[in-house]
Amino acid sequence: MLVLKLAWRNLFRNKRRTLLTVMLLSFTLVSLILADGMIKGMQEDLVSSVTQTLSGEAQIHKKGFFDELDEKIFIAKPESIITQILLNNDVEAYAPRVLLGGMVASPYNITSGLIYGVDATQETDISKIKNAIIDGAYLSGLKREILIGKPMSDTLEVSLGDRIVITAVEVDTDEISQELFRVSGIFEFGLPELDNSLSFININIAQHLIGLNNGIHQIAVRFKNPEYALDPEHSFYQEINQQDLEVLSWLDFNPSIASLIGMSNYATIIIGSILFLLAIFGVVNSLFMSIYERLYEFGVAKAIGTSGSELMSLVMLESLLLAIVSCVLGAVLGYFVNSWFAINGIHFGTYEVSGVVLQGIHTKVALEQFTVLPLCVILLVLVSAIYPSIFAARIMPVNALNRSL
Amino acid sequence: MEYVIETENICRFFGEDDLRAAALDDVSIQIKPGEFSAVIGPSGSGKTTFLQLVGGLDNPTSGKILLSGMNIAEMTNRELSDFRRDHIGFIFQSYNLIPVLSAEENIEYIMLLQDIPASKRHERVREMLFLVGLEGLGDRRPAQLSGGQQQRVAVARAMASGPDIILADEPTANLDSATGASLLDIMRRLNEEQNMTFVFSTHDRNIMDRARRLIHLHDGKIESDEIK
Repeated sequence: MLVLKLAWRNLFRNKRRTLLTVMLLSFTLVSLILADGMIKGMQEDLVSSVTQTLSGEAQIHKKGFFDELDEKIFIAKPESIITQILLNNDVEAYAPRVLLGGMVASPYNITSGLIYGVDATQETDISKIKNAIIDGAYLSGLKREILIGKPMSDTLEVSLGDRIVITAVEVDTDEISQELFRVSGIFEFGLPELDNSLSFININIAQHLIGLNNGIHQIAVRFKNPEYALDPEHSFYQEINQQDLEVLSWLDFNPSIASLIGMSNYATIIIGSILFLLAIFGVVNSLFMSIYERLYEFGVAKAIGTSGSELMSLVMLESLLLAIVSCVLGAVLGYFVNSWFAINGIHFGTYEVSGVVLQGIHTKVALEQFTVLPLCVILLVLVSAIYPSIFAARIMPVNALNRSL
Repeated sequence: MEYVIETENICRFFGEDDLRAAALDDVSIQIKPGEFSAVIGPSGSGKTTFLQLVGGLDNPTSGKILLSGMNIAEMTNRELSDFRRDHIGFIFQSYNLIPVLSAEENIEYIMLLQDIPASKRHERVREMLFLVGLEGLGDRRPAQLSGGQQQRVAVARAMASGPDIILADEPTANLDSATGASLLDIMRRLNEEQNMTFVFSTHDRNIMDRARRLIHLHDGKIESDEIK
C-alpha cells in the first residue's frame, strides 16, 4: 500500500511533466479511438451502401447461375425455398428476382442491358431502387411499367411515358420474345455501372417474357443482423446450401469490397503503430527525466536496502498509474469526440470507393474502442517503461551518491 | 561476534596508470559492537570512501571487509542489498528523506522492505518518533519539517530496521550547533541504551568530543587511532 502511495505521489512531483505525458497518452488514445471509429464507420457505410443499394446481404441462386449468368439456370419452384426463408427468424426481408439480358430499343436508338424483374413491394425492403427515382414513379405492379437509368434514357432519347421495346430470348425454346413498355420512372443510383445498363420491370412480366412460368433466378435477402451474412455456419447458409442451390454473401459477389475492408484494417494497424511509436518516445523520455531527477534519491533508496527489482517495480507501478489515468481521460474524451462525429459525421463531399459512392463518414462507436484500445495503451506504456525501470534498477548507489556518502 | 566491522588492508584506488590516486591505502580497522566512533580528517582524506566501503556501497580495490563476521565480497548484489537493509543504517549529511512521504512513512518504508507486518511497523514507527522526540509530527512531509527535525527522522529511519551498525556521514554538517548537539545527544543515548554501533565521518568538534574513539585518516592512511 505504501509503495502504491509512493508511486502515486511521485506522479505529482513534477505536475507539468506528468500533465504533458498524460495529455500525450490521452490524445494518443483519442486519436486511436477516432481513427478506429472512422475506419469502422467507413466500412459500415461501404457495406450498407453495397448491400442496400441493390444486391442485398445474401443471394440465393440455383447452382451455376452466378458463375455463368445463364438465364436457363433458374429456380423452377421457389415456393419451398421461400417457405424455408420465412421460417428462419434471422431473415428480415427477401425479394425474388428474374434477371435477363436483352436489347432495349426506343424509336430513336437501341442499347443492350440487364433487366431485373422485381416484386414491386418486396423489393423496397431490400434495395434502394425506389429511393433512386429522380423522375416519374416507382413500380406499382402495372404490366407495362419500366424503370431505366438516367444515362440509358439519354442514350435512348426517351422520357416519361415514351415507349420502349425489350427483346429477349425464351429459356425453353430459344425463340425471340418481345414486350412493349412505357417509361414510368427514371432512376439514378450514382453508380455508372448500374445507371448505364440496368432497367427494372415487374417480375410477372419478366417471367412471361422469357417463359419462366413461376421460376426466378435470384432471391435477395436481408438479415436482422448484418453480421449473419458473413457467418457461413449460420443456419440460413447450412439449410439452403444443402439443396441444389447456392447462397452467396455480399462478400462473395463484391470481392473488391472485401479487399478494401482488409486494406482499411491494415490502415488502422499502421495508423495505430505510428501513434504508438510516437507515444513510446514521449513516455520513455518522460520516465527517464523522472528517473534522472531522482537519481540521488534512488541511490539513497538502494543504499538503505531497496533492491533493484523493488525499484524496477516502483517505476513500473508509476507508469501503470500514469497509463490508467491517461486511459480514463482519453476514453472519456474519445467517447465524446467519437460520438459527436458518429451523430454529425465528417463531411468532405461525395467520394467513390471501389465503385461505391459515399457522402462523408459517420464514425462508429464500438465497445472495443474503450476496452481493447486502452489496454493496448496501458501495455504500450508498460513496455515503454521496461528500459527506464531496468536503468533505475541498475543504478549503483555509490555512483548516485557521489555528492556525499 | 567480536567485531561488527573488520577491515584487512583495504585499498581503494581511483583512475588508472599515471592518474591513479589512492582514496584509501592499506587500512585495517576493527570496530566492536556498541562503539561510538568517529572517522576524522581533512577533506580528501578518505573518510567518505571508508564509510562507503564498510557500508557495502562500494568494493575495495584490494583487501577484505567483514561486517558482522560476513565477508561482503562473497555476497551477490541481492544479498548485499538485503544485508544493508537488515544490518546497516545510513544517516546522510543532507537527510535524504523521500519528499513525497510523511515522516512516519519515511520511517515505515524500510520496514516495508523487510516485510514486517503493518501493525508491528506502525508500533515501531511510534516508538522511533518518540525516541527522536518527534511525537505528533509524524504526518508531516519533509518540506514541513526543519533541518534538525528532518535529520531526526533520518536517524529514526536508520534505526527502524534494527541494524547492527549506523554509519553517519557528516550528520550535523547542515545543522546549527544547538540542533546538532541535541541530535548527538539522541544518538549517544540510543548508543548507550540499545548498544547500537555508530561510526561517524565528521569535521564537527562536538562529535569528536563525544566520540569514544577517534580514527584519524590522512591521505587515505590511518594516521592515528585513539580510544578515549
